[in-house]
Amino acid sequence: MSETSEQTLFRLLSDAVLNMDEDTAEAAAYKVIEENIDAYRAIENGLVDGMNRAGQLFEDEEYFIPEILLCSDAMYAGLDILNPHIDRSRQKVRRKVVIGVVEGDTHDIGKNLVKTLLDAAGFDVVDLGRDIPPQKFVDSAIEENADVVALSTLMTTTMDGMASVVGLLRQSGLRHKVKVIVGGGPVSQAFADRIGADGYASTAPAAVKLLHTLFQETAHA
Amino acid sequence: MPDKGKHHRKDSLSPLQRLDAYGKGLPVDRLPCVPIVGNTAARVLGVTVGSLRNDDRTLADAHIASYRRFGYDNIRVFTDLYTLAEGMGARIRVPEDETAFLDEPAIRSVSEISGLRPADPYRDGVLPEHIEAVKRVVQEVGDEVPVTAALTGPFTNASFLIGAVTLSRLVLKDPAAVHALCKLSLESALAYAEAVFAAGGTPSLTDAMSSSTVISPKQFEEFSYPYLKRLVDFIHSKGRPATLHICGKTSPIWNRMADTGADCLSIDNDADLLDARRRIGDRVRLMGNVHPSAIMLQGTPESIREAVYQCVAAAGDNPGGFVVASGCSLPTETPFGNIDAMLDAVREIGYPVHAGFGRTAGKNSIK
Repeated sequence: MSETSEQTLFRLLSDAVLNMDEDTAEAAAYKVIEENIDAYRAIENGLVDGMNRAGQLFEDEEYFIPEILLCSDAMYAGLDILNPHIDRSRQKVRRKVVIGVVEGDTHDIGKNLVKTLLDAAGFDVVDLGRDIPPQKFVDSAIEENADVVALSTLMTTTMDGMASVVGLLRQSGLRHKVKVIVGGGPVSQAFADRIGADGYASTAPAAVKLLHTLFQETAHA
Repeated sequence: MPDKGKHHRKDSLSPLQRLDAYGKGLPVDRLPCVPIVGNTAARVLGVTVGSLRNDDRTLADAHIASYRRFGYDNIRVFTDLYTLAEGMGARIRVPEDETAFLDEPAIRSVSEISGLRPADPYRDGVLPEHIEAVKRVVQEVGDEVPVTAALTGPFTNASFLIGAVTLSRLVLKDPAAVHALCKLSLESALAYAEAVFAAGGTPSLTDAMSSSTVISPKQFEEFSYPYLKRLVDFIHSKGRPATLHICGKTSPIWNRMADTGADCLSIDNDADLLDARRRIGDRVRLMGNVHPSAIMLQGTPESIREAVYQCVAAAGDNPGGFVVASGCSLPTETPFGNIDAMLDAVREIGYPVHAGFGRTAGKNSIK
């Protein structure tokens, strides 16, 4: 396989994600396997690249929630095909994120968006879903040996659940091991500070940047 | 000054007198002020949030008590956004003492749309209780304050019928299905609006999903605008003013929100009041935009006063008028003292807002 056609295939994957084209993403993913191209690189340079471009358009307010959802559908369609073919030995260690919408809230668009972009950014994301009791976040953080707990809510009524998660992590002696990040309509930096979370992000792309920053800080600490 | 009527002890006019005079450019004691009280009303009456939802007497009493306690300029009978969708089959979870939320949408797939029927406000879900509550509030205080009932916009209601994520995908994949859901929602909304009018109230439109935080201006144009316009036209046909609230980012759609014919646009803290004033201030009354959680819930009376001053500095002289308000419904546990602080700041500023106010009060919009 020549360098050029490999690049062409990566570009095809990337464009398929950007253009919300599930069928092309699948076809290109099969082609990657057929041609014996490294699946990991196809994910990184193809699917993830496409999702990053989509995320940029979202930040630029050219793409909105409907577009991003269909981009992520195309990305996951490709991932489903390529993931089993990844050479695990070559894969770098990925940070694990447990994510969910706190109890009392079933709005999960924002959470899904963050999950998608974190997946694309190379995090290993465990999605608990919506309406999740505080203890469940802690149990999952232990079970999964998570590096991050990411909490989302769109309702002011459920914000207290976020504080409970931080408190429960502290009680379990895990607080120093796990970063807690929060987001969602009613949440603010001031709220994150008040409940003792490690960070707040106002958008999904900002959540990815926040985690990169947080882990960079740890690395230099 | 117009004749004194029933009014809060700290004011000299009743809300109806104030709004009437303010609309005509006559002297008033202060700018209109609406901290958007929702389930905080349960706290004022000393009952659980859950007890408001299906009991017209408790719901009415809570909103009357809250209005009398604070003296704001509009009562909105409201418990949550889901009552209309519930009337069409969505499953709502009602915690004992917290705001109700959507448990399961009415349907899972497009093929089930044909099985949906518009809600009957006199029969379905808790709509009859809410209509009855409007009637009670109007009987009790309708001669001093406008009584409104929250009416969820068709696109937002459609998201409760099939789920927000599914609806978002359909926007691109199956526009006809989205329109079908919006049409059914519009029929329900018109029927509910008619019942609210019959009870002596006025519907107040709220349409969160139409925000530019969720859909593009182009998608708003296709899936939100036509339905909102129909509802505004209907409200106008009854000779009443229409208020349209959309939270989140709205600046890309301000012009079209104004084009619906809405008399007042309620915008939240993601929007810049000064910018709104500049772009649409001569067309509509503006309402907003103190942050409901960061400031109203978590702030102090002093930070609330500061936020009110900043809002008034930005839009207090809006040609179309201005209502000092929270950006969205207040969180249930908003301290009473913070709500008092909002009204007290507006009373302190008075009206007309004196020249040079903006120079002394700071020019930043609230974020």
